[in-house]
Amino acid sequence: MIRKILFYSPLSIIVLLGILFYYSLNSGTKSNSPLIGKEIPEFSIERLLNDNDQFTSKDLTSSENINFINVWASWCIPCRAEHNVLELLSKIDNVDLYGINHKDTKKNATNFINTLGNPFREIGFDSDGRTSIEWGVFGVPETFIVHRGKIIYKHIGPIHISELEDTIIPIIKDLN
Amino acid sequence: MSELLSYLGIVSLCVCLLVSLAQIKISYLKSNANYINYFNLSLIQFVSCLLSFLILIYIFITSDFNFSLVYQNSHTEKPMIYKLSGSWGNHEGSLLMWILILTIFNFMFASMSKANIRLTEITIGVQSFLILGFLLFLLLTSNPFSLLSESPNEGLGLNPILQDPFLAIHPPILYLGYVGFSLIFSLAIAGLLLNHIDKNWASIVKKWTLSAWILLTAGIGLGSYWAYNELGWGGYWFWDPVENASLMPWLAGTALIHCVSILEKRNTLQSWTVLLSILTFALSLIGTFLVRSGILNSVHAFASDPTRGLFILAFLLIVLIASLFIFARKGPFLDKEIKYHLLSRETGILVNNWLFLTILFIVFLGTVYPIFTDIVLNENITVGSKYYIFSITPIIFLFIFAMIITPFLNWSTNNYKILIQKIYKPTLLSVILIFSISLYFDKLSITEISLLILSSILIMANLNSNILFKNNSLYLTSNIGRALTHAGFALLIISIIANASYAKEKITQAKVDDKIIVGNYDFIFSSISQKKEKNYHKIIANFEMQQHSGTLKKLSPEIRFYNNPPTITSETSIARMLFRDIYIVMNVPENQEFINVRIHIKPFMNFIWVSILMMMIGGLFSISYRIKNS
Repeated sequence: MIRKILFYSPLSIIVLLGILFYYSLNSGTKSNSPLIGKEIPEFSIERLLNDNDQFTSKDLTSSENINFINVWASWCIPCRAEHNVLELLSKIDNVDLYGINHKDTKKNATNFINTLGNPFREIGFDSDGRTSIEWGVFGVPETFIVHRGKIIYKHIGPIHISELEDTIIPIIKDLN
Repeated sequence: MSELLSYLGIVSLCVCLLVSLAQIKISYLKSNANYINYFNLSLIQFVSCLLSFLILIYIFITSDFNFSLVYQNSHTEKPMIYKLSGSWGNHEGSLLMWILILTIFNFMFASMSKANIRLTEITIGVQSFLILGFLLFLLLTSNPFSLLSESPNEGLGLNPILQDPFLAIHPPILYLGYVGFSLIFSLAIAGLLLNHIDKNWASIVKKWTLSAWILLTAGIGLGSYWAYNELGWGGYWFWDPVENASLMPWLAGTALIHCVSILEKRNTLQSWTVLLSILTFALSLIGTFLVRSGILNSVHAFASDPTRGLFILAFLLIVLIASLFIFARKGPFLDKEIKYHLLSRETGILVNNWLFLTILFIVFLGTVYPIFTDIVLNENITVGSKYYIFSITPIIFLFIFAMIITPFLNWSTNNYKILIQKIYKPTLLSVILIFSISLYFDKLSITEISLLILSSILIMANLNSNILFKNNSLYLTSNIGRALTHAGFALLIISIIANASYAKEKITQAKVDDKIIVGNYDFIFSSISQKKEKNYHKIIANFEMQQHSGTLKKLSPEIRFYNNPPTITSETSIARMLFRDIYIVMNVPENQEFINVRIHIKPFMNFIWVSILMMMIGGLFSISYRIKNS
């Protein structure tokens, strides 16, 4: 009897696995991050270009504008490719672009900004990557859209110009 | 012209679909259908699918942008080989290739099978059911031949990171391995249905398992080689979920090869062998599902589409639930119990089987558990390489230990005297060798020293007793295949340890004429230049690698700027020497003067590739020996 039951165990494992996969498939279509729709994580990190005070989550919740948070690093090649798209993004009305500089050195990051230009309103310097972890960042670059303290959208990888036009601008229009 | 081709491509797929239905019917009828019937049908199946695949290649080579697939994935300026590989470097094309390989295996089996007719018919029936499922998937959700209403002048290109010759052949070889295991699966189901799991079944399965295993090993090796050369992260294995998806069937398949040997020689372990056959293919299917459904985030992930994911999941569940149900019903009555001594080869192989499955379980947990926490606990976790290294290392000890002794044990009886006689010399030699090496090089931990000793015993014992010198000539025993594969595995472990322990890395900024010192080498940054190529332009940094002020090699890492789609990639420059690779990657120049460079010294890299090759060659020896003797 026990032997017979044992022979059903692979079947039950596959059924359980099937259920798990089914749910992960469905949850994947709703959002690509568990943080979407939730309040932004609280953080407080030093500013890259300004030693005075800290860049905190309050900076993002205080304004009515649409906040973009771009996680980048000077050593990340796609971030460079993305940079001119960020310049365009920062010029859109009612949009504030913030940066989180991820696992970098101050010298390299400042160099990057001085050479390519600074589209960011503020840049947080996250040298050990702790804040990025709280944001659920997989890798750089990643960009979050935050409105009234809530995460609306997450973009993984560099934003291509076509993605700016097809996906991001419609979201901005929606929010306005 | 494009309409005609599109029409022809779809029609030939439909022909293949109808023939598959006919094949299923033959196997279902308990018919008097004869050899000619299923052979001819599997030939038509193969040819119709091949025709459709050739059309796919033709539209890619001619850059026919009327086809949406070509428009999305190709570009006129792309070199010919990448136009070709572009045809299977996307979801639709790779799926068509997958089906083509299914039909190839089906056809080869039909033409070569020496099994009895019913077993062959049902195997082909099950195989045709798989072909049918994937064909429906292709036609209903991922038609490769769909046309655009207007023809664009230019395509959108192919991801430049995929423009690499190794990546052009990596997917086909990997699929050959994955799909090869589908045939084992079909044989297992047919055997179950007919209560025909015996020595004869095992010797048929062993040949096909070995071939699929060699191809899967080659596929994984090529993928790893590509990652090392192209991704510029300096590593060869990242425990990326998609890599794990290919490693899991490999582990199950390797366990299967060993288990089938017991069934073939001793006619026992029927149900376990069948379960492993089903499991190996199940893991291939699950891997495919994970990669294509977009559940996993990875460099390998295809553009995700939820309906596709749902379709594969449904198909996967139908196939696996049905087969495991048959297994649950028939399995308990298959086994023939026999007696064997505790210190016999059966025990040794079984122990290794369980160790294989433990490693498999660890990898499976690391791959699937993050999906579980994501859904149930709403928490994103990432499993890093440390988890795998620390949980797998202790098992590798037992594993190599069992690999050393098992081949010298007899079937069913105990004869430890021969064992001791065979391994005492290699053991002594290895202990002395590794201890003196570890005195010379410090930094080795006791874990590493003991693993090195075990691996070295494994290599010596295998080669010593299977490559013999008689009358001044070289003589190979019939077990040379196994010996090579096992020695290859040991060499792999040694190389991995050496690579991890003695790797050096330096990340720095440099301007022209700077000297960077890493280990015993000096790197002079001599110049920087630009060059325009067909579909990209590049910046090249030239380094001279020197030792004791003499130039050894010139290294030139590159940054490439592709136009379509606009992407920047960095090309590594690797100096391969016998005992180490020197690996340089650079980043985009910071400004006029400085560039960021990363220099790795990676010992024993060549040995990693050689060891994988040795395992494959060992497999080839085993197959050729079997074919010669049958």
